[in-house]
Amino acid sequence: MKIPQFWNKRNRVLLQELTKTDFKLRYQGSALGYLWALLRPLLLFAILYIVFAQLLRFGNDIPHYPVYLLLGTVLWSFFTECTNQGIQAIITRGDLIRKISFPKYIITVSATLTAVINVCINLVVVVIFALINGVTPSWSWLLVPLLLLELYLFALGIALLLGSINVKYRDISSIWEVFLQALFYAVPIIYPVSMVASTSMLAARVLLLNPIAQVIQDARWSLITDTSVTNLSLNGPWGQVFAILLALSVFIIGALIFRRKSRFFAEEI
Amino acid sequence: MSERIIGTRIESHDKGSDIAISVSHLSKSFRLPTERSWGLKQAIFNRLRGIKGYRDQQVLSDISFDIKKGEFVGIVGRNGSGKSTLLKILAGVYYPSSGQVVVNGNLIPFIELGVGFNMELTGRENVYLNGAMLGFSNSEITAMYDDIVKFAELEDFMDQKLKNYSSGMQVRLAFSIAIRAKGDILILDEVLAVGDAAFQKKCNDYFASLHGKQTVILVTHSMENVLQFCDRAIMLEQGKIAVSGTPEEVTKAYTKLFEQ
Repeated sequence: MKIPQFWNKRNRVLLQELTKTDFKLRYQGSALGYLWALLRPLLLFAILYIVFAQLLRFGNDIPHYPVYLLLGTVLWSFFTECTNQGIQAIITRGDLIRKISFPKYIITVSATLTAVINVCINLVVVVIFALINGVTPSWSWLLVPLLLLELYLFALGIALLLGSINVKYRDISSIWEVFLQALFYAVPIIYPVSMVASTSMLAARVLLLNPIAQVIQDARWSLITDTSVTNLSLNGPWGQVFAILLALSVFIIGALIFRRKSRFFAEEI
Repeated sequence: MSERIIGTRIESHDKGSDIAISVSHLSKSFRLPTERSWGLKQAIFNRLRGIKGYRDQQVLSDISFDIKKGEFVGIVGRNGSGKSTLLKILAGVYYPSSGQVVVNGNLIPFIELGVGFNMELTGRENVYLNGAMLGFSNSEITAMYDDIVKFAELEDFMDQKLKNYSSGMQVRLAFSIAIRAKGDILILDEVLAVGDAAFQKKCNDYFASLHGKQTVILVTHSMENVLQFCDRAIMLEQGKIAVSGTPEEVTKAYTKLFEQ
């Protein structure tokens, strides 16, 4: 794949049209339509908030805990939507791949772009919530797009990697869905990192090396409260470099494997 | 798993050359799974037991031909002789196992009509989506749009969802995109006869008018079409070129194939 071919006009138009179609069709025929994209993380947030903040009294020591929790669920929903849609994308569009030739990554990317649009709108809601909750705006908010980019590249890397294997071994997408359910509890979304740290410091440090945890904690730090425990504060600069490099390498490895395997998608699908 | 040897497919835009498609020593084999189950579990078992789990099926072997610009070439052969595989390799859907394919110019593949049509979108949206898949930009499609709709005779229905079209209307729209799309090379797989008698006549007239102006590769079972439209034809038999020559020669050979 030469560079000009990688991002030429033809591919850009196709990416745009496919994303538009995905977006248009996703909520078609439902009464609330696009509102579902907003409602899904908000409802998840409501459940988590009632169970963990109200009943179990988590996060009492964290300022603006509801917004803190909301931001975590929004980013987590983004990650799951991105990977689930991205892994399935190649199979969903199998009919196209068997009949027309075009760069296959466009399919995966267009499937994940819907999640990107959703998370951007969700983040606007988070910001409104934060302002209502009395969080003061700060320059550190500008870090959030960078963090989002890191999380997106990580998710896209996984989608490309597992999506290309899923063409032949369809078990992959099911395994990933189960794996995500377990992963949810390994990421500090509902519980504060300090809770883990009070039992085992080592566990808390390992937890934060996961790029998802690192991004969520960094986003909370920059958007909501600088009392958030971050990967940087617990593992130092090298720990931070490790998490970011991990995300980037997953993306690069995923893209390379996808490129190699994509030549045979049409035959194997 | 051993790395598969891969041939090459090159796209060029050489205005000076009069060759539209050049195929040399093209071969293609598919990997067919030999085990019943085709999943992760089987893959792990196979690897542990040292079994390949697939066999190679040779579909095309050592095919070479050139197609000049403006030629109308028919490709015929029995079912399973490799016609569609050849077409898909020309279109870039499959990779050649070995050999080389050079495509000179913008190629519009119609392996099947209405690929990527979405029932929930309107006729208009589908034209743009389909156009994007074929490699056209929005402004290029806008330029062709009226022509496509007019040929399909669907002026009053473009803002209706495709699911409300009759199947004849869907095929007409797909077919109009296929032939009104301004590409240098048109590839058609057995999609000539669509619609009612009046529309078929219109299509036939159109194909006759393409003569010498547009490069077309047509896969068909209809010898009538070969004689009517093609300048030249190729007959495939068991993945090899059995006959290559005038439409009359190839039609004769094809008819003979079924006399034994």
